[in-house]
Amino acid sequence: MADPVPSKARKLPVSRRSFLKTLGVAGAAGSAPAFLRSRAEAQETPARDAGAKRGGTLRYGILSAPAHFDIHQSGTVANLGAQSPMYDCLIRRDPHDGQTIIPDLAHKWDVSPDGKKYTFQIRKGVKFHDGAELTANDVKATYDRIVRPPKGVVIPRSSLFTAVGEIVVVDPYRVEFRLTEPRPKAFMLAAFASGWNVIVRKKTLDDNHGNLRQIENFPGTGPFRHVSRKDKEVWIQERNPNYWNKGLPYVDRLEIYHLAPFSPELGSAFLSGKIDYARLLDPVSWRKAKEMPGVTAAQFNQSVIQAYWVNMKKKPFADPRVRRAIHLAMDRNALVDVVKDTAPMQIGGFVYPFHEASTPKAELVKRLGYQADTKAAVQEARKLMAAAGYAQGIKNLDFVVREIATFKLWAVAIQAMLKETLNIECNLRVVQTSQWFEEAGAGNFDLAISAIVSSVMDPSDYFEAWYGKNGPQNYGGWTNEQFHSLARQIEREVDENKRKTMIRQAEDILESDPPLIPVAYERINDAWYNRVHGQNPTSYFGIYDVARWDTAWMS
Amino acid sequence: MHKYLLRRALFALGTMVGVSLIIFVVLRVLPGDPLVAILGVEGYNKMSPADHAQIMADLGLSDPLPVQYVRWLGDIATGRLGKSFFRGDTVRDLILHRGPLSAEIAVLALFISWLIGLPIGILSAIRPNGWGDTVARSLSILFIAIPGFWLGLLLVLALLFWFGYKAPILVIHLWEDPWQNLQLIIGPAAVLGLAQGAYIARMSRSCLLEVIREDYVRTARAKGAVERAVVLHHALPNALLPVITISGVLLGFVLGGSVAVEQAFGVPGLGRALVTAIIERDIIVVQNLVLLYALIFVAVNVVVDLSYAWLDPRIRYH
Repeated sequence: MADPVPSKARKLPVSRRSFLKTLGVAGAAGSAPAFLRSRAEAQETPARDAGAKRGGTLRYGILSAPAHFDIHQSGTVANLGAQSPMYDCLIRRDPHDGQTIIPDLAHKWDVSPDGKKYTFQIRKGVKFHDGAELTANDVKATYDRIVRPPKGVVIPRSSLFTAVGEIVVVDPYRVEFRLTEPRPKAFMLAAFASGWNVIVRKKTLDDNHGNLRQIENFPGTGPFRHVSRKDKEVWIQERNPNYWNKGLPYVDRLEIYHLAPFSPELGSAFLSGKIDYARLLDPVSWRKAKEMPGVTAAQFNQSVIQAYWVNMKKKPFADPRVRRAIHLAMDRNALVDVVKDTAPMQIGGFVYPFHEASTPKAELVKRLGYQADTKAAVQEARKLMAAAGYAQGIKNLDFVVREIATFKLWAVAIQAMLKETLNIECNLRVVQTSQWFEEAGAGNFDLAISAIVSSVMDPSDYFEAWYGKNGPQNYGGWTNEQFHSLARQIEREVDENKRKTMIRQAEDILESDPPLIPVAYERINDAWYNRVHGQNPTSYFGIYDVARWDTAWMS
Repeated sequence: MHKYLLRRALFALGTMVGVSLIIFVVLRVLPGDPLVAILGVEGYNKMSPADHAQIMADLGLSDPLPVQYVRWLGDIATGRLGKSFFRGDTVRDLILHRGPLSAEIAVLALFISWLIGLPIGILSAIRPNGWGDTVARSLSILFIAIPGFWLGLLLVLALLFWFGYKAPILVIHLWEDPWQNLQLIIGPAAVLGLAQGAYIARMSRSCLLEVIREDYVRTARAKGAVERAVVLHHALPNALLPVITISGVLLGFVLGGSVAVEQAFGVPGLGRALVTAIIERDIIVVQNLVLLYALIFVAVNVVVDLSYAWLDPRIRYH
């Protein structure tokens, strides 16, 4: 049932407002920041598409064989990709633009003037899939676990809520989060709206000692209900007829096929029409899909930085001049090009290049280290190496490479760039992912290439994790007191303009004293047949916040 | 005969115990933390040492190695074969669900290898060094040389881009839908069968060439038997013995090759499950699947040995 309208000529189910927002997020540095577009005052659920039809089955291809079933404990789309449609959050990102924060299980929220109290009013009459009614106690139990996980439970998003001191149930439909110190409103709302923070039953958590890793089907309140799951094959869900958001979801049935990202299986399943919507397509299949009539192909930003770390404990790298020289020696346009048939990438620095507060792309590409012509950057890099006493280069570096196609391609290119520009010689050591993290954690490397993610786009989420003194992903062991102090101020500053200025200052510090060497920022390739409507990810940030399919419909 | 069977069974048991020990030890000395795959990169990085110890204990990975090994033997004895680290599914369920697909691929590949290899071998032997023999030998070398996964990828791409065709993406058993099931298995079976067929062709050609020069074949011809009867009724049965032996060995190659070929075709069989388990470092799944492959290999070799007596009455077991 392919749409007869060719992809280039078809009318997108996107409003003028969403389109303008998309443009703004994509590159216009002067556009209004996303947090200012919050519809907190209006507090509406997702707008209904005019002409949306009920019924049908949506066949969705995505990585969906989770290692376990505990969404809170996960950090991979293998969980959210398949499980998100069965759950709701307190607040959420509007699926029409992926940016605006709108109500979800909380129909209203208030932030105290001092920024230290967030009060959420919970909808009445919301039922879990097992028939139990949602109350503020379930919200408290969920967030108590996220904020302070029990022993043996690891929740990557706990760090978003470090300022939360107390969670208080005011009445069965009102819950208060009391912060020990203020946080920017945009950051806190983004944390609450993160797709990972789904609300689960207090009883479910109590019955399973707070650990849901092996509980396949724990009740949620979401638009779809579990029907069956075949491991590493398909997860089937049906429309929840008792969904609190009347009229949603539109489709009767979701078939979520486990198809690995960038894999030929995903590409061939989509191109042969075996699935309606593919997420994380490889670039070759995506380009092919883009040319197909009746298909829409979209690309959007992902919450992942690809980088390599230099071990500060090894002598040459303690000197910031050496690290800056290595940073400048990278031909980033070439690095993006090297992997263009493997994974879609874009150039960026130390802060998400598409974040409102980061250096605008137009400005960034004029900066040394990001220019298309690398001559000036290389000259500067050589001067820095000479000043640091390494004019003759460095030999025998151990470069640990994660066993993933993009990293292997990049490692060879980086090896050649370092040799050619700075006479730095590295020996590549390719290891499995699990070994990479052991080696990186133990500091057994000189250079090590991988990728790291954040939950929200705001620097306060990842400045500590990536660049913090004891940050879990600060593999190089980098410290810079000026930066750490500034990062703490950024974390607490509630004035957005002041905050933006401080983020730019932090960027400057990172440029001159690099904690890691940014290689590229990942992008996501999606494609869908035009029979699928109600979801356009063009302006989404990542693949974790909007993955519920309640507004999708089939024609 | 009974003594021989008992001896072979004991040897097989010893082999299996040896294999199980090697798999068990190797999987535990290899570097890499299984918790990376279980918790994901982000979770793993943010895990405290106490949480790490707790989760390892929950998974039974902090027990002494002999305790873990005995527990595995217990799981084998109960037939459950242990649970995957990840979603808690039992390995038995995994094998029961995906095993039939891999078994079908192996059997069909073997059938295809005989179907292609034997006639080519016979034709080559009847007219050695003729143009037919030369073409057959060239093709057999080509199919031996081409890696199965590469040929598989080419086939998948060709079918997709020329015909927009892709085989089913789910496990469909023979008893559920034979036509869909055939679409799943025919690709991997054909690729594996072609490569093994090349071996069969070469082996049957050389054996037949040897037998065809024997006195009893000359006698058959002298008695006036037609050439077809000479080849099929007199020479071929005696030439088949080494071909059967090599078929047993080839089944091992088919099992091994199916891992890469299933991956190339995207067929959700046991081979693909093994690759995924290795990537995830799900050592319970890996050790059981490798042991299963070893068991099949040993069993096939025993069956091949026993089949000698049936094929050649001169052979007696002591």
